[in-house]
Amino acid sequence: MVSLSQRDDGAEVVEACRQGDRAAFRELYDVYKDRVYSIALYFFHGDRTAASDVTQQVFLKLLANIGQYRGDSVFSTWLYRLVVNVCLDEARTRITRPVDSARLEAVAASDSQEATYSRLQEAASIRAAVASLPPKFRIAVLLRYFDDLSYEQMAKALRCSMGTVASRLNRGHKLLAEKLKQVIE
Amino acid sequence: MKLRDHLPIVEAPESVWRGIEEAIDRGSGKAACSRLWWGWAIAAAAVVMVGVGTWWFSMHRGGWIETNASTGKKLQISDIGSVDMGPNTRLRIVSDLPGQHRLSLAHGFIHAKITAPPRIFSVDTKSGTAVDLGCEYAMQMDEDGSGDLRVSAGWVEFEWKGTETLVPAGALCKIRPVRGPELPYFEDSSLEFEHAIGRNDVASILRLARARDTLTLWHLLSRVESNKREVVYDRIASLISLPATVSKGPVLALDPAALNQLKEELAWKW
Repeated sequence: MVSLSQRDDGAEVVEACRQGDRAAFRELYDVYKDRVYSIALYFFHGDRTAASDVTQQVFLKLLANIGQYRGDSVFSTWLYRLVVNVCLDEARTRITRPVDSARLEAVAASDSQEATYSRLQEAASIRAAVASLPPKFRIAVLLRYFDDLSYEQMAKALRCSMGTVASRLNRGHKLLAEKLKQVIE
Repeated sequence: MKLRDHLPIVEAPESVWRGIEEAIDRGSGKAACSRLWWGWAIAAAAVVMVGVGTWWFSMHRGGWIETNASTGKKLQISDIGSVDMGPNTRLRIVSDLPGQHRLSLAHGFIHAKITAPPRIFSVDTKSGTAVDLGCEYAMQMDEDGSGDLRVSAGWVEFEWKGTETLVPAGALCKIRPVRGPELPYFEDSSLEFEHAIGRNDVASILRLARARDTLTLWHLLSRVESNKREVVYDRIASLISLPATVSKGPVLALDPAALNQLKEELAWKW
């Protein structure tokens, strides 16, 4: 899997997409779709329908707004901003479902190589803990873990200051540690 | 337990692309029109707000603002936040440009609450400059340039003679005339640790440090002699498991990028 930030040299693909080239749009989609989908999946408690909806919205917004992308920040940071906006908007409008451990275990079972049942359970517990974080902390944690974004990139994607990034990661981390106390022990 | 190992990338189903293609084919001219209208309305409102903020600020620019022994005062900083002045405080507005709001604090107490991108708001003092990285903080400064900086949310950077001291939420940094900022530390650290910082007793600082006190140790790296840096780094690594992406050599050479990477790995745990 190619990292989003490693793909930021694809300026010509972005430019072609700006010019309305459907093939270039498909190429961007192919590069970024799995990360966008995964962030949405973990953000929405393992809900695949919500993750699919969010991914569609993100790429439709990308297509509609790519003319506004001026290249003053790396493309992936701009895309993450769309992901953050759509996830948080969706979180406000959707009825929050309780964290479904079975659904999160299903994500683990189908998408990882973890061999033992206890490992699967541990993975599901961790995902459930992430999914139960308040939305602002959850999205910060996911951005940090999915692409090793720097605090500055995260600040741009989240439209907040670096101090707020640190503060959200800090609080998110503490909440996770609290929720995962038993798993860690 | 590595969080990242338990959050694998999941492949997006093919139906997502089909949905996108269908939506593109349907088109959305009406929605685009509505977005455009809202865009103009929001832009117009923003222009008005910035204008009012600039007007307010320019009314107060240049002159000194002082409070007496019994009352404080609240300053609105454009549309990015506010500064509460405590009693017996004297400050001046140095700059009110949209991208740069700068105060000069001669003495007294301020409590600043700012919501803005990093480095838009700063406060000069006799012993350095507090640069806002998006935060809430309190600063007490005496006329001789001694004081302290306490941060309650976000981060503040204190700049003094080319050195930068990062003070995150929950931490405190004492500022001394001529010597500049001391090592920052969290307010929940032990009194013994605090005294060790005051004495600049490196051995005690290392011995007493907790995982959270890597804030102090990270600053210590660039303030000790080069032959002591490795001991400091090793103590940090013993307190917090560092990822393979952090390289010891460049950190010991005080490479700015390596130091920054180390800071961001540690900051996550503070």
